[in-house]
Amino acid sequence: MTATDFLNLLIAALLLAGTYAAMAVGMTVIYGVMKIVNLAHAGFLMLGAYYVYELHERLGIFPLLGVLLAFPAFFAAGVLVHWVLGRGVPVSDTPTLASLLLMFGLWLVLQNVGYLIWGTDDRSILTPMTFATIRFGEITIPKIGLVVFLSAIVSLAALEFVLHKTWFGRSIRALIQNRYSCRIVGIPVERTARLTFGLGVAFAGTAGGLLALLYPFSPDFGRPFLLRSFVIIVLGGLESFSGVFAGALILALVETFGILFVPSSYQPAISFSLLVLALIVLPDGVAGFVAKMRSRGAA
Amino acid sequence: MNPRAEPVGLAARVLRTAPPLLLLAVMAALPLFQLGPNSLKLLFLTCVWIAASVGWNILGGFAGQVSFGFAVFFGLGAYTTAVGINQGISPYLTYPLAAAIAALASLLIGLPTFRLRGPYFAIATIGVSEAVRVVMTNIDFTGGSSGYRITEHGPFRQAEHYYTALALAALAVGISILVRHSRFGLGLRAIRDDQDAAADSGVNPYAFKLAAHAIAAAFTGAAGGVLARYAAFIDPEGVFGFQRSVGILLMPVIGGVNTIWGPVIGGGVYGLIEEELVAKFPQFHLLLYGVLVMLIILFEPGGVVGLFARARRFVLRRRVASWQPS
Amino acid sequence: MAALLTVEHLTKYFSGLAALDGVSFEIREGEIVGLIGPNGAGKTTLFSIIAGSQPPTSGRITFEGRNFTRVKPFRAVHAGIARTHQIPKPFHSLTVRENVEVGLRFGRGRAAADSAKESMEILELVGIPSLASMPAVALSVGDLKRLELARTLAARPRLLLCDEVCAGLTESEMQSILGLLRRIQSLGTTIIYVEHNLRAILSTCHHVIVLNFGKKLAEGPPEKMQNDPAVIEAYIGKKTEV
Repeated sequence: MTATDFLNLLIAALLLAGTYAAMAVGMTVIYGVMKIVNLAHAGFLMLGAYYVYELHERLGIFPLLGVLLAFPAFFAAGVLVHWVLGRGVPVSDTPTLASLLLMFGLWLVLQNVGYLIWGTDDRSILTPMTFATIRFGEITIPKIGLVVFLSAIVSLAALEFVLHKTWFGRSIRALIQNRYSCRIVGIPVERTARLTFGLGVAFAGTAGGLLALLYPFSPDFGRPFLLRSFVIIVLGGLESFSGVFAGALILALVETFGILFVPSSYQPAISFSLLVLALIVLPDGVAGFVAKMRSRGAA
Repeated sequence: MNPRAEPVGLAARVLRTAPPLLLLAVMAALPLFQLGPNSLKLLFLTCVWIAASVGWNILGGFAGQVSFGFAVFFGLGAYTTAVGINQGISPYLTYPLAAAIAALASLLIGLPTFRLRGPYFAIATIGVSEAVRVVMTNIDFTGGSSGYRITEHGPFRQAEHYYTALALAALAVGISILVRHSRFGLGLRAIRDDQDAAADSGVNPYAFKLAAHAIAAAFTGAAGGVLARYAAFIDPEGVFGFQRSVGILLMPVIGGVNTIWGPVIGGGVYGLIEEELVAKFPQFHLLLYGVLVMLIILFEPGGVVGLFARARRFVLRRRVASWQPS
Repeated sequence: MAALLTVEHLTKYFSGLAALDGVSFEIREGEIVGLIGPNGAGKTTLFSIIAGSQPPTSGRITFEGRNFTRVKPFRAVHAGIARTHQIPKPFHSLTVRENVEVGLRFGRGRAAADSAKESMEILELVGIPSLASMPAVALSVGDLKRLELARTLAARPRLLLCDEVCAGLTESEMQSILGLLRRIQSLGTTIIYVEHNLRAILSTCHHVIVLNFGKKLAEGPPEKMQNDPAVIEAYIGKKTEV
C-alpha cells in the first residue's frame, strides 16, 4: 500500500470519525444526565434522514439547510416524547431495564412509522456534491464527506459552547455529576432532564440527516448506527464527552483500515466484535482506563 | 369464612397442579378435533414460541439478565437440526444436539459478557448476536444468505410436528417450575434483585448466571430446531436476525417476566398475533409490539400476569371490605 | 488462643486518597470487637475488603490461618465471614422469610433440611417473626435492619461483621439488638461491630479498635479507649486555649 493510499484512508477515517462523534453525542448526553440507554436513538437517526430527504425532495431545500432545520424540529420532538413518556423515564442514578425496554418499544414504533410512510426501499439523497471530489495534490477527498465532517464539527463545537457557556449547559454538567446536589442548589432536575432529552434527540436527528448524505437509508437505517454509537460511547466511556471523540476516532480507524484485512461482507462484524471487546476489556472506556492508570501511578 | 384465607395442604397442591395438567391434556387432545392445517400450524407455532419464551425468561425474568441476542441460540439450533437431518441423523436426535450446541454457545458468550450488568449486558448481547448473524450470512457451507433447505424423505405429518412442539413446551414449563421452586431459582431471584447482596449472602452470581443462560439457550435452541424441521427452509436473517431476538424477548415481557405462566401467555399471544395479524396487516406488527411494550412498561410492568394479579387484589379487597363478622 | 482473623498493613487507595492506610490488628475467636471512628474513617471500607467485596491495594488478610486477601464475596461467606450493610440491602421481590432463606441455603456449610422452620426460628431470634410473609419492600427501616441481620445470621458465620446495625433505632430497640449480639456471641460467633454509640460499645465489647483517616489510632479495652486522648481528639477535637 502506498503512502498516498494510506493517507487517503486516514483522511477518510478522520472524516468518518467526526460524523460518528456527532451521532454518538446524542446518546451520551441522554445517558449522562438520566442514565437512560436510548435505544430509540436509532429511530430518531432514521427519522432525521427521512426528514432531510423529504425537505429536499418536496420543498427543494438544500440538504445542509435541512440538517440545520432538523435541529429545532427534533428538539421539540424529543421534549414532547419525554413529556408523554414521563412516567417511564425518571431521572435515576443507575440505568434501569425498564427505561431500556421503554425506549426499545419506542424504537419499534418509530421504525414501523417509517415503514408505513416510506416502505422498505432504500432511498438516497443525491446532490451535485455527492460524487464530487477535491484533490490536494495526490490526496482525494470526497466533497460530501468533507462537508458532512465540517457540519459535524460545527454541531459539536456548538454543543461544547452550550455546555460550558450557558446556564442550561452548566445544569446538564451538574446533573451528570450529582443529582442530589442539584436539587439542593435549586437546579430544576426534571426540566433539565426534559430539555436534555430534547437535545439528545436533536443531535440524533441532525446526525441522521448528515449520515443520509453519505449512505442510502431505509427505516432500518438506525440499527447499525445504534450499535456504532454504543461502541463509541463504550470506548469513550459512557459518561465523558471527550471520550466520545476518542471512541469515534478509534471506531472509524478500525472500520476504515479493517477493510484491508477482512472481506467487506464481514465488515459489520468488526464493529460488533469491537463493541463486545470494549465492554469486556474496558468497562469504563478508554477515558476510564486512562484515569485508572493515572490513579494507580499516584498511589 | 375468612375471605383472605388461602387453602393449604393437599387440597391446595391438587388445586395448583390440576389446571396446568388439564391444560396439557386439552392441548394434547386438540388434534383429534379435526381442526384443519392452519389451526394446527398456529398451535404448533405457539408451542415453539412458548418453549423459547419460557427459556428466555429463566435468564431474563428469573435472573433479571435481559438479553437482546437470543436469536443466536435459536439460529444455532435451527441450523444444527437442519444440517443434521440432511446428514441423515434422526430429527429426534438433532433436537438434543441443537440444545447442547446452543448451551455451549451460551457458555462462550456468557463467560465474557456476564461481567457486565444490566443495560451493558443487553447491549453486548446485541453486538454478539449481530456478529454471529453476519458470519452466518457469509458462510457458504450453510448456504450463506440464500438460506438452507432441509430435504426429508417421508410424509409430512403435521400432528407429529405439533406433538413434538407441545412436548418441548411442556418440558420447558416443567423445568421452569422446578427451577422456580428450587434453591437455584431462589439464587437467581436474589441475583435479579441485588447481585451484590446475593454474593454477600453466599450466592455465586457468575456461575448461576452461566447456568441459567445455558438452560435458557438450550430450550431456545431446541425450539429453533423444531421450527426448522417444520419449515424445511431457513435463512440467516430469519433465524439469526435482530427481529427474531426481539420476538423472543417480547413474549415474556408481554405475558409477564419473572413468572411461570407469563411467558406461556406471551407465547400464545405472540403466536396468534404473528400468524393472524402479520398475514392480514403486515405493516403494523412492529407498531403493535412497540406500543404494547411501552404500555406495559408504563402501566403494568408485570405484563398480562400482572394485570390478572391486580384484578385479583381488587376483587379480594372488595371481599374483605364487605366481610361482616358472623 | 490463635487469632481467627489477622489483618496486616491493609491499605486501600481510591484515586490517590487513602481510605485505609496500613491498618493491622488481630481478632481472637469468641470476642465482640468494637470498631469505632468518625465518619469517613474507613470502617465500612475495611468491612468491604474483609468480606471480599473489594480488593485491597496492598496488605494481607488471614482467616483461620488461610490467606483471604482477595477472596470473592460468596467464598468468604462459605468460609464463614458474613457482613451486614450500613444501608440494608433486602431482596425486594422476595418476602421476609425468603430473604432469610437465601442466607440459609447459600451460607456456610450444609443448610437445614427444613429451611422454612429454621428461617422462622431466625426471624424469632431477631424479633420479627410476624413479618415473615410480608414483601421485604414494605418494612420500616428498623425492621429492615433486623432482616439484614437475620439474613446474615442465617448464613451461619464464624465471623460476623456488623455495620452500624443500631443506627436510627430507639433506645429500647438498640438494647434488644445488643442483647441479641451478645447471645449470638455466646453461641460461638465472633463479632466485629461498627458503632457510633459509645455506650453500646462500652456495654458490649471486649476489645475496641479505633480508626481515623484510614489509620488505626488505638486499640484496647473499652474503658481505656474512652480515656485515650487521641481517641477523644478524633471525635471531639483538641482542647484549645482561649
